[in-house]
Amino acid sequence: MEISDTGRILSRLTNSEFIGREAEMTRIRDFATARGRGTRVAMLLGPTRAGKSELLRKSFDHFFNESADVLPSFYALKPGRLDDQSFARDFLSIFLAQFIAFRRSDPSLFALAFEPIAVVARSATADDCVFVKEIADAFVQAAGAGDSTAMLRCALSAPSRAAERTGLVPLVLFDDVHLLAGASARGANPPFTELNRVHRESNELRYAFFDALKNGTADIVSPRYLLAGFERPMAELLPADLELFAALEIIRFEQVGREHFERFIHAGAAERGVELSDSVGELMVHQLKCEFFYTRAVLDSAASAGVALRTFVDFERVYSAEVASGRIGNYLRASIRDAAPDRRSQRAALEALALLADAEEGAPIDSVIERMSLEPGGAEDLLERLHSRELLNYGHRLVNASSDAMLADYVRAAYRSEILSLPKPVSGPPLLVEKLKRAHRLMMDRYHGSFAAQLLDVLSRFDSQRAPACLFDEAAYEKRYRGMSRAQVSRSLDQETERVTLPQIVEVEDAGGGEYEGINWRLFLAAGFEAGIYNESNEALWVAALINSNEPVDVESLGRIDDRIAAALRGRHSKAAQPVCWYIGKEGFSAAATERIESAKALRSTHAQLDAMSDYLFKLSAPDAQPASEFELVIPIEDEAELIAARTIELIARAADFEGEAINQIKTAVIEACINAAEHGQSPDRKIHQRFAISEDRIIITVSNKGRIFANGNIGAVAESQATGVRGRGLNIIRALMDEVHFQRTDDGTSLVMTKFLKRPEQQ
Amino acid sequence: MNNSEITTRLVEGVAVLYPGPYLNQLRGERIEERCHELLAAGVTRIVINLGETELINSIGISILLGVIEAVNNAEGKLMLSNLSSSNRELFEMLGLMSHAEIEETEESALARLGPFATAEA
Repeated sequence: MEISDTGRILSRLTNSEFIGREAEMTRIRDFATARGRGTRVAMLLGPTRAGKSELLRKSFDHFFNESADVLPSFYALKPGRLDDQSFARDFLSIFLAQFIAFRRSDPSLFALAFEPIAVVARSATADDCVFVKEIADAFVQAAGAGDSTAMLRCALSAPSRAAERTGLVPLVLFDDVHLLAGASARGANPPFTELNRVHRESNELRYAFFDALKNGTADIVSPRYLLAGFERPMAELLPADLELFAALEIIRFEQVGREHFERFIHAGAAERGVELSDSVGELMVHQLKCEFFYTRAVLDSAASAGVALRTFVDFERVYSAEVASGRIGNYLRASIRDAAPDRRSQRAALEALALLADAEEGAPIDSVIERMSLEPGGAEDLLERLHSRELLNYGHRLVNASSDAMLADYVRAAYRSEILSLPKPVSGPPLLVEKLKRAHRLMMDRYHGSFAAQLLDVLSRFDSQRAPACLFDEAAYEKRYRGMSRAQVSRSLDQETERVTLPQIVEVEDAGGGEYEGINWRLFLAAGFEAGIYNESNEALWVAALINSNEPVDVESLGRIDDRIAAALRGRHSKAAQPVCWYIGKEGFSAAATERIESAKALRSTHAQLDAMSDYLFKLSAPDAQPASEFELVIPIEDEAELIAARTIELIARAADFEGEAINQIKTAVIEACINAAEHGQSPDRKIHQRFAISEDRIIITVSNKGRIFANGNIGAVAESQATGVRGRGLNIIRALMDEVHFQRTDDGTSLVMTKFLKRPEQQ
Repeated sequence: MNNSEITTRLVEGVAVLYPGPYLNQLRGERIEERCHELLAAGVTRIVINLGETELINSIGISILLGVIEAVNNAEGKLMLSNLSSSNRELFEMLGLMSHAEIEETEESALARLGPFATAEA
């Protein structure tokens, strides 16, 4: 759904500025137009300043212009109108004005909202005037009697009455709903306590629409309510009512992707006539973190000052001035003031935020409270309010800074001038030097970030493959592949016979980063399972440390990284016996660091190996990894059926030029695999499925069964454990006779994959 | 292949067993039964000729190990003969060679277990 720029009514952004939101717009349209059954309340949740309000306004414009069955209404709660009478009057005036404007297809009638309600009603169409007048009269009467409850009931029932009389589906878009929670939470002035009670009684707003849903009948059109606001306090609005949560629709709203954001920056600059270089564009993407508000502020500021953004210095100068005293600074100041209304608490808030801005991993609550120097209880309340407004994260033990880097910059600048009272620089904004130093690092981080993204992709692709062991062994890799091109390495890796079985990774967590004397790193925790067996003893945990440095990583830096790894692992309740540590260093590792890694039995790679791993895993998943020819055989689980399989593979292997001895080995391995599958599979179809794939240099035999997994999936562990049982002996036989053996999880069972290489005479 | 009968012959007090082309659980158990019968009848010298045995599986091997142990416990002697190179490799791999005595041919096994050899044993 798209609105032409000429059809903008409430929305503030042009289509070129409002990008990457097609999916959310479609969700809202579906939500509004789903008739009869279905959810009638949705919450739009997402980070602050991501554009939730604009999405509501765009939705309003869409339905207003469409002029069809959906009656849109947009109302943003206002801090000054949180008492029941003001709210009731304001909401009803705006609702009626928008309703009349919609019915008359004339947005200019929105101005009616500024007229007394009795006057507003007179502008209704002939069809609507009777019931609009009824509503207005009832409201005026209640207001005259000072009956707040009746006023609220009258206002909040207006959408339902409009639905009843017109057959339209009201879509009530409530913005800044978090103010509702704030109003009742403060408790000193209880206007919305009353409102909440009215909600329950009048079956309106948050209780009413959920109740309506529960008893939903298809023939009565109920209003749809879409709520937006700060995520944290909004969540507190809802009572722990299971039915209510079951009926609630959540529309997630994330920051737009970098691609969209980059387009937005360039389009925005072009529209404003601001010259923008590609490198500054890239820096803006990274520094402004896909935040539209901040980006517009910087571009507007550059445009009004007639400044070109050609170099980092150009950009950082405009940015720093904006943060110190421009629109960004004033917005952030107002945000803090909103949570901390008086000077004393503002100072305390600034103290807390400044402490957190430089505390990478958060600060203990007690130390933050001490720094705030407020009376007992006051600091906690203030932290709670700052948390609600997403200016910091107030946990049970630690307080962390918000992820808003612009806030951190503002806090640093404000702290300098307001708390430390440092003099302002004679020329240039106070932040500039600091920001320029950071800009360089940010762009380095971007380079590093591409490796982080690659590592994330590689870890996510781990799916029980058998990967060449040298990819985790820097020395072995260097010895074999030094000086070879990436393509050559990719081809040669197929020939590697020493392999390791990767776990199947199901979750990758960014465990943060750090830096120390020219080295910076980022940690990822990758959790999953070995051999595709989902039980506690097969849980796998990998810790991948991506290290960026210009020199080989020395042992001291490695020690610091290890401390961070230990910290990241603390508090994890994984049953994984021993996490696998994998260090990836851009320039490799010093001798002492290598020794330390080896003694800890950890893995180490360079960026080149990460590239090779990425290529290798991609190749495995690519369609051209298909073998030349394939045969399939299904045998029943019954006495000696495995002999049929052995005879079949004999013919196939002979045709593929395998020699007599190798053929016997393959046959024996196939027999053992079949016995294993029959013994341990509990296959519901009582069948064993086999695939024989022949390619130029190998035969790959996959023996699968449905149902429970067979044998101990960890073939390596079996071989090493010198199993003496029959099953262990069978696996040992397979392992000894074939060149590669591994288990593979399938959706409905397990496969044993065995490879035998064709050793041509010249290779022997 | 369902013919699981084990051919047996007695040569001067030594029993020679022929497990057939595939030594699996079924044939392993037949050999086991046959050996117990032989031991009960006082025949304690046994040769298992694997010349026709093309394939052996792990269950067959496990049972074979049990049979060797039973014969040893009865103070008898069991020898394997006519192993193909693949079967020999399999036995070596599983450490069976230390449990069983192997002879190249049935004749050489008989020669070692026959009446003249008995005195030695």
